[in-house]
This record gives sequence, C-alpha cells and structure tokens, in this order.
Amino acid sequence: MALRELSSLEKYLGLKKPNKYTTRGDKKIPVLQSSNGTQLVGLLTIACHLVKEAKRPELLGDSTERRALAQQWLEYRVTRLDGYSKEDVKNILQDLNLHLQDKVYLTGNQFTVADALMYYGVHPLIVDLSIQEKEQYVNVTRWFDHIQHYPGVRHHLPLVVVLRNTIYTGRHH
Amino acid sequence: MKLSVSEGNPHCIKPLAALQVTGVQVSVHYVNHDERVVPFLNRPVVPALLLPSGQHLFSPNVICRYLFEVKGQESSDLCNQWLEWEATSLQPALQLALHMAVLQGKGSEVSKVLQGHLNVLEQSLSKDNMPFLTGESVSAADVVLWASLYPVLSETSLALGERGSLKTWFDLVAAMHGCQSTAQKVLQGKGLQGMKSYMQRQPVPQSSQCRDAPPCNSN
Repeated sequence: MALRELSSLEKYLGLKKPNKYTTRGDKKIPVLQSSNGTQLVGLLTIACHLVKEAKRPELLGDSTERRALAQQWLEYRVTRLDGYSKEDVKNILQDLNLHLQDKVYLTGNQFTVADALMYYGVHPLIVDLSIQEKEQYVNVTRWFDHIQHYPGVRHHLPLVVVLRNTIYTGRHH
Repeated sequence: MKLSVSEGNPHCIKPLAALQVTGVQVSVHYVNHDERVVPFLNRPVVPALLLPSGQHLFSPNVICRYLFEVKGQESSDLCNQWLEWEATSLQPALQLALHMAVLQGKGSEVSKVLQGHLNVLEQSLSKDNMPFLTGESVSAADVVLWASLYPVLSETSLALGERGSLKTWFDLVAAMHGCQSTAQKVLQGKGLQGMKSYMQRQPVPQSSQCRDAPPCNSN
C-alpha cells in the first residue's frame, strides 16, 4: 500500500522520473533506492524527501510551527494508522473529528503533505463507514471529501461518496 | 510556550533533555498521568507542548524536532529516518521490554527483546565512525534515541555487551548539558521502578508488533 501512496504522491508533486522502491520486512516498509546507492527507509521519511526533491517546501509547512504540526500528523499516520485494530478505528476517528472541528486542513488553513498521507491512510476506514457513522464523524468526512477532491491527490484511490445533507436528524453526541 | 510533563513517564525524558541541549526557553509544568492536556485526544497524552498559536504538539519526537528547529537546526533526511524508526519500530519493542522489566520482574528479557534494535544502532555508529547518529554534531535524533533508551541502558544489570560504539555514544549524549540528571529526575532517582505507576496505566503491549526486523540503515 505504501508504494502506491508514494507513487501517487510523486504524481501529485509532478516528479517526472519515478524513483525506485523496494520494501522491507513483514510490514512492507518502503525503501527508496537512490541512484548513488544510498537508501531511505520509511513512508514519512521518503514522503518528506520527495517534497524537497520536488522543490515544494511549503507542503511541509510554511513556518516552524506548521512544519512541526505537519510532522506530528505524519507520525500519527505511520504509528496509529499502519496496523490498526478494530478498536483503534473509533479512537482514531474521534481524535481526528475533534481536531478538525475548527480546521480546514490538519495543520490549520494550509494544505500539507500530512493531509495527503492521512487521506491515503484513512481511506480504508472511511470506505467501511455507514452513512450514519459518516455523519457521526462529520468533521473527518468533510475534510476527507475536501482532500479527495483536492487537485491531483486522489490518484490510485476510488472516490468515496459523501452526502452533503444530513439525513439522520435529532442525533446527540 | 508551555511543556506539560509527568513524573515517572519515560516519554518525558525526550523533550526535557532536548530543552537542556537546545537551551530553548519553555515553562515546564508537572501534571498527573491522567490529566487531559490535549483537548481533542480521547486519552491523556503527556508530554505535550502548547505552541504560541494555541495548538498542541503531543508527540515527544516532534517536540524535540521542533525545539531543534527553533534553534535553527532543521531535520535532515537521516534525522527524519531515525525519528521514524524510533516511533514505528523501536517504541513497540521498548514498550514490551519495559512492561516485562517493570511490571513482570523479567528484567533479564530486556536484552533479548531489544537486541536487534541495539545492533542496528551499534552497526550504524561503528560503520560511519561519527560521534553522533547523523554526523559530527548532535541532532534531534540523538536526543530522542538516547532518551528512549535511557531507562534500559542506564541500568547496570542490562549490559550493552560488546556494543562499544553504542556505549561511547550513549555516554557522550548523557554527558551533554545535564541530560543525565534530567533523565534521573524524571525517573525520580529510582531507575525502572520510578516508572511503575505510569506503566500500570498503559495498555499491555502486543508482542506481535515487535517481531519485525528493525528496518533502519544509515547510508
């Protein structure tokens, strides 16, 4: 899965020459093989490297603070969303839902590479949600729908239908 | 900026040591293990750094990375790689090792659980012949890795074996700007037993998460 994400990220970044990748271990951790024989290991590390290679530093965050916030959600992605259990799903969606309550993107009002990777990571969770659950996690769903329509991000993933109108009314949380 | 930490929580060694090394001024507050510092997370998470904008950083590694960047040192690819390896590969193994040592009295198992990871560090440090993980000067990666290994490596019973380069590096970071005394203070001078009340509140780690070979290199 990680390799498809990296390939989508390369396309989004407009990198003309695709990099060479392998994976390592049972968890299929991505490894980038560069032309001079060196390797970079790990989804987060490689994603940040690609952004720098594409000379799009603003996608890592345009200030020290935003860069830290982007890193935090990238780390959340690789620690919480890779190999999650059924019980985790609820916790992850609750965390994100509360965090995104007053935000357009994960770091605030600017799109970063953390939004792209989190979108790739939560896609399998969102696909499995019922309409009712999508309404329960309304902020996640709104953010998700925004990112899947963000130009050039979706690539390898199917579009998930998100209803704009609430059909279950009178729910209290 | 305000950093919330709790006593006996090993994750708090990281940002406190990073404050020592970087010299960034932050007010430090001690809270209870179950205090909810970060409002949107559904379980209490400490350490947490409240940023000037009002947002929270709740990952100890990212807090350390941020403090180094505030001091003008941005993370290199290699530094990122070590931080990611620490969070995704070393931490699950370490949680298992600490759980066994602190709550089950199986301190002898620690070397077995961690040997693959310690070997990765030893190989990297001896191959490059550099004093620090990312080169000639200390980075967020050194502070993070040192602080996460401190509880196990500072116990004399858990010997490093023949890992000479790892020991040299570990002692080098320990001697920097009071890192060691900061760490001792977090563990309240009681070593592993200082973490007992914290560890009792943590979910039981799954050993299946730690079986994978440690995927790091240092090319």
